[in-house]
Amino acid sequence: MPGGGAARRPAQASDLAMLAWLGPRPGRKLLVGTIVVVYAWVASASAPFSTRALITVLVPGAILGAVAYGRPPERIQPPETLDVGGFSYWIVALALLFEWEASAFRAGAPWWHPTLTDLINPLLTPHPVRAAAFVVWIAAGWGLVKR
Amino acid sequence: MTSEVVTAIGFVVIIATLVALELLGRRRTNKIPTTGEWLGYIMRPRAGRALILLGWLWLGWHYFAR
Repeated sequence: MPGGGAARRPAQASDLAMLAWLGPRPGRKLLVGTIVVVYAWVASASAPFSTRALITVLVPGAILGAVAYGRPPERIQPPETLDVGGFSYWIVALALLFEWEASAFRAGAPWWHPTLTDLINPLLTPHPVRAAAFVVWIAAGWGLVKR
Repeated sequence: MTSEVVTAIGFVVIIATLVALELLGRRRTNKIPTTGEWLGYIMRPRAGRALILLGWLWLGWHYFAR
């Protein structure tokens, strides 16, 4: 390389877009994101029904619970009211989901009418997929804390 | 088509409906709230907040600890 030493690459538009996406304090967000990904990778390797698996789920729950009630972040302002007609679409769809799930559960989840869990669990078997799902679960928890 | 496939299709249709409701809610041309809006509304009181967070914790336990 001419001039020896590693030349610094000038900032590109993609770098700035990345920083803008991270918002304020990008370093802190990157650090927390890295910790979450590593934690999810380790946690998702736990054997089902083991104490370790239980603890790896309870730890994020305890941390987010403490943040939610102890030091809540700036919350997204919730609406003062909900339109009953608009919300009723959600109620009907969620009731259908619970009914479909309950009918399988009540039948003892036979092979011909599996529960949602029976269908999802095989998809979550590969470690990377399970770790990614764990990250999504933690991110969803953080999203709820901000609500 | 086996009953198992019918069950799976039922779940896919319902989940697709939930996604469609979310997309419709984001269009702002109707009164359908987004997931964040109705969850936020339920989470206004402390009890609602605790209930939703417990539900989230239960999901984690159900899929990752069992």
